[in-house]
Amino acid sequence: MAKITENTRSEVSEVVYNFFMEECDVDASEINDNTNIIRDIDGDSLMFLELIEIFKKKYTLNIDLKTIGKFVVKNPVETIGQLIDTTMLIIVHENNITEL
Amino acid sequence: MDRKVVITGMGMITSLGLNLETNWENLKKGESGVRPINLFDATSLQTQIAAQVPDEFIEYSEKYVTKRVSKQMTRVTKMCYVAAKDAIKHSGIDFDTMDKTRCGVILGVVSTANTSAEKGTTPQNKVIKSMSNAMSAWISLEFELLGANYTVTSACASSAYAMALGHDMISTGKADVVIVGGADSIVNFEEIEGFNELYALSTENSLPEKASKPFSLNRDGFVIGEGAGIIILESETSAKNRNAVIYAEMLNYALTSEGYNIMAPKKDGEGIAFAIESALKNAGIKPSDVDYINAHGTSTMLNDKYETMAIKKVFGDLAYQIPISSSKSMIGHTIGAAGVIESIITVQSIVNELVTPTINLDIPDPELDLNYVPNVARPHKINYALSNSFAFGGHNAVIVLKKY
Repeated sequence: MAKITENTRSEVSEVVYNFFMEECDVDASEINDNTNIIRDIDGDSLMFLELIEIFKKKYTLNIDLKTIGKFVVKNPVETIGQLIDTTMLIIVHENNITEL
Repeated sequence: MDRKVVITGMGMITSLGLNLETNWENLKKGESGVRPINLFDATSLQTQIAAQVPDEFIEYSEKYVTKRVSKQMTRVTKMCYVAAKDAIKHSGIDFDTMDKTRCGVILGVVSTANTSAEKGTTPQNKVIKSMSNAMSAWISLEFELLGANYTVTSACASSAYAMALGHDMISTGKADVVIVGGADSIVNFEEIEGFNELYALSTENSLPEKASKPFSLNRDGFVIGEGAGIIILESETSAKNRNAVIYAEMLNYALTSEGYNIMAPKKDGEGIAFAIESALKNAGIKPSDVDYINAHGTSTMLNDKYETMAIKKVFGDLAYQIPISSSKSMIGHTIGAAGVIESIITVQSIVNELVTPTINLDIPDPELDLNYVPNVARPHKINYALSNSFAFGGHNAVIVLKKY
C-alpha cells in the first residue's frame, strides 16, 4: 500500500492539472475541478488510463486496470475533480477499491 | 426518390502540394511529385522512389490537429483529416446549422499505414492508430456528425467506391451531406518489397521525375504515391438552400467486378469496358457525350494496354477524339485514395476548362494510339467526364461527373 502524506492530494492534483494543460493545450485558468474532460477540453477516456500508469509508477501501486474498470463503471469519472478523487481512492485502497 | 448529387467542396494532399490550389497549379504545369524516398532507408530495395507527400506536412498538420489527437493518428490519417477540414471549409458548410443526423462520412481506406515507416507509435495508441475506420471516425467526431460513418475497402478503387456509396445515400434521400474520399500511403519497406516481387513498380531510380510514364512504350510499372482527397457530396436542394457554390454534379457511377484474376485485368480489357459501358448506361448518357476521361493509367504494361482497348471498344472512332490523361504520371498511384483524388482533378478540369497532361509521354507505344494529352495541359470545355479506377481483386469503378 502506498504511503499517504498530507501532501499526496496536492501532488496528485499538480500531476493531473499539468497533464491536462499539456495534452489538451489549455491554460491553468481554463480548467478547474468542475471541468468536464471530454465535453469542455476535448479530452478522451484514454487519458485516465495514462494518468493511472503515471501514478502506478510514482506510488508503486498494486492495482489492476481491470479492477479500476469495474470501479469506474459504478463510479463514473467525468470531471477533473472526480478524477483526482478516484485517483486518491486508488492510491489508498489499491486492488481493494472494488470493496468500497 | 432520385435527388441530384452535387459537389460543394474539395480538399486534397498529394506529392504536388498540401492543398487544392497548390495541387492544381502544379498539375496544370505538368510537374512531377516523384522523388527519392526519405521516409525510411530504401537503398536495399529495387524501387527507391515514390511520390511522397512533402516533408513539411507534419509541421503543416499541427495547425489542424491538436497535440493530443496527433499522438493517436498516423501520418496518413492526419492527411485525411486535414483534407477533410479543408474540404469542409471550401464548401462553406456550418454543420451546426444543419441536421447532423443527415450528415455522414464514407471513406475508402485500405489501411491507416501504421507501418514500420510510421514514427512515434506507442503501445497505448497502437490500436487507435491502426483501426481501419479511424479516418472516418475522427472526421465524424470532429464535426459531431450523427449520420452513417464507415469505411469501405476495395484496394485501388476504395475511395471511388466510397464516392458511389455516398452518392446513393444522397440520391435515395437517406442523407443530405456525405463527406467522401480517402487517404493512403504504402511508402514503407515491406509493401514496396512486395510490389517489387510482383514486378509492378517502376525501378527508374536514377530519374525519379521521369519514372511514371503511362501509355509510353518504355513504361516499366507504376510509381507509388501517397495522399488524401475529400469531396463534399450534397443534395442539390441542400446546396441551394444554403447558397453554396456547386462545382460539379456527380451524375452517377458504375461498380463492377472482373470475376477473373486477383491481380491481372481481364483479357483485352473486357472487364474495364463493361465498367465504362455500365457507367454510361447508369448515367443515361451516350459515348458521344463524354468530353474527357481521367484514366486509371498506371504506367504498367497491362493496365495501359487494356484500358486503351476498353476505351476503343466502348467509344469506337470517338475514342481517338476524347482527351484522356493520367494524373498518376505526376502524383504516382495513390492506391486507396486514387479514385477520389483523380475525381477531384477531373472536377477541377471541368471547372477550369483545362485538361491536365500525361507527362513523360515521350516515346509513344504504337499499340496505344489515343489522345493522351502528352506532356502539356490543354484548354478544353468539358460537359461530361469519366474518372476510372481499377483495382487488384477485380474491383472496377467509373465515376461520371457533369458540369454544373
